[in-house]
Amino acid sequence: MIHAPADRSQPDSERSARPDGSRRGGARVNLDWGRYTQQAGLFAAVLGLGAFFAVKNRSFAAHDNLIELLRAATLYFIVACPATLVLVGGGLDFSVGSVYALGGVNAGLLITHGAPWPLAMLGGVASGVAVGLINAAVSVYLSVPPLIATIGSFFFAGGIAVVITDGIDVYGFPNSFSNIGFGDFAGIPYLIFYAVVIGLVFHVLLEKTTFGYNVRATGGNRGAAAANGIRVARLDMALYAISGGIAALAGILGAARLSTASPSAGGAGFTFQVVTAVIVGGTSLFGGVGTVAGSALGAILFAEINNGLQVINVNPLYQSIFIGIILIAAVAVDQFRRKRRFRAGR
Amino acid sequence: MTAPSRVADLQLTGISKRFGHVTALDGVDLSAYAGQVLAVVGDNGAGKSTLIKIISGVFRPDAGEVVVAGERRTFAEPAASRRAGIATVFQDLALVEVLDVSTNMFLGQFPRRGWFVNRKAMDAQSRAFLDELRITVSSVKTEVGMLSGGQRQIVAIARAMRTGAHTILLDEPTAALGVQETARAAELIRQLRDRGKTIICVSHDMNFVFELADRVQVLRLGRVAGVRDVAHTSKDEVIAMITGSLSDARAGGEVA
Repeated sequence: MIHAPADRSQPDSERSARPDGSRRGGARVNLDWGRYTQQAGLFAAVLGLGAFFAVKNRSFAAHDNLIELLRAATLYFIVACPATLVLVGGGLDFSVGSVYALGGVNAGLLITHGAPWPLAMLGGVASGVAVGLINAAVSVYLSVPPLIATIGSFFFAGGIAVVITDGIDVYGFPNSFSNIGFGDFAGIPYLIFYAVVIGLVFHVLLEKTTFGYNVRATGGNRGAAAANGIRVARLDMALYAISGGIAALAGILGAARLSTASPSAGGAGFTFQVVTAVIVGGTSLFGGVGTVAGSALGAILFAEINNGLQVINVNPLYQSIFIGIILIAAVAVDQFRRKRRFRAGR
Repeated sequence: MTAPSRVADLQLTGISKRFGHVTALDGVDLSAYAGQVLAVVGDNGAGKSTLIKIISGVFRPDAGEVVVAGERRTFAEPAASRRAGIATVFQDLALVEVLDVSTNMFLGQFPRRGWFVNRKAMDAQSRAFLDELRITVSSVKTEVGMLSGGQRQIVAIARAMRTGAHTILLDEPTAALGVQETARAAELIRQLRDRGKTIICVSHDMNFVFELADRVQVLRLGRVAGVRDVAHTSKDEVIAMITGSLSDARAGGEVA
């Protein structure tokens, strides 16, 4: 670790052995596996559960079923990407379920009122960004905790989605629009491609960019980040805006896939699925720690449970029981791991 | 040891600060010199932390002036103080425990290559810098949360130095440290002094002060109770000034 030398003459001779400061000899590579134990465990769980389902019913492992499983995970995962960043940044966004519906019906209404669909999509995404900016402003400037601010906007945004549609589904979209949610390439749905691209973008954003480093620092210790010149309020605005925008985009893709934009899409169930997938994926509720890859595994695990239980003819009503147990187990394991890892314990 | 005729590298004159009815500082003077450690001591509520926060730009004084290297300055925010070459190591250290040493060293100022953080350069510079201060680190990728209190203190001081500051403020650097760790922190501070840095250190720890400081300034109830060369004073005298049983006739003056 670190120590200032007690004897001031000695380190000079030691230093001469490493002219460019690169000592440590051959054992240089120390990829920190501790960071990935949660993901490794989750990956094993996904594989193990998959093997179990496949043994019970071989059609689980069929190509078409696996594609369907992944497709089912995509919309949750797409929203889980920015949600991961929000959580790593020390926040929480519970409004995504309603923003999902709001984005869908906004874009849907714009299309049925004659707007070209790319423009309608932009309009839908913009409504999500607006909700996100409100979330950030309320939590930063009115000092309302993000949990409350985003539950508030969950009702608010959901209410708007119902009011502007009179609670009635919006449909009658051109094929060119429906195709973006419905189409496939080489037998793989477009949605899976979108999810892969969005996942990669968010992974790079979090792991490699200054923005990602600032997010991690702010979530890890907001006071320290601010004291070192990171603009934490502006960071929050960006995070929640991105979260709202992507949640709306997912709602629009979902509407395109079903050729229907419903004000009752998404909802609390969607919010909880997304947040649960992120947390089960190893992202800390306390900020600073988390990966997009983990969230992908979390989303896939839930899709797998849902799909597998149906394939092996277990009543799907049992699903929630399993998810609840998995969530609590995942967080308990994470806490245990953290206590061992950090002396201070977080 | 005191530089009698030399111009102070950091000079405060007549600094006052009130919070509502409470006068935290009342006409405080302070002179700090390059290549010296000035210890600021005093009882709780003497105004030590307020004084540090004025120099580091957290608070603005109600009266008085701050002169850095001969130039009068007003610090509207901590960043302004940093730009003037003053680095502060606050008592809470402002480290992010879940992040590694190298990331903490560059917090808020990550080296970039295009859109990305230049991780290689950051690690190499962190290591080179820690080596230069003769701090040995097994890996700059170790998370700060896994370090001991003393190691964290050293990382925080090293980070303050990395910015190229000529003046370093330390607020209770040994408050959370054990005996050995305190010795290590003292060693590092001495190195910085020997490099010609101006060091101001607030501390409760009288042994630490007498081992490390060149001069000691005593605050009492928001005023300067006295300034002494460590070589020409005793713990008893300093403690007497802290408790108020001894005070220089005209508070605020440079003595010795």
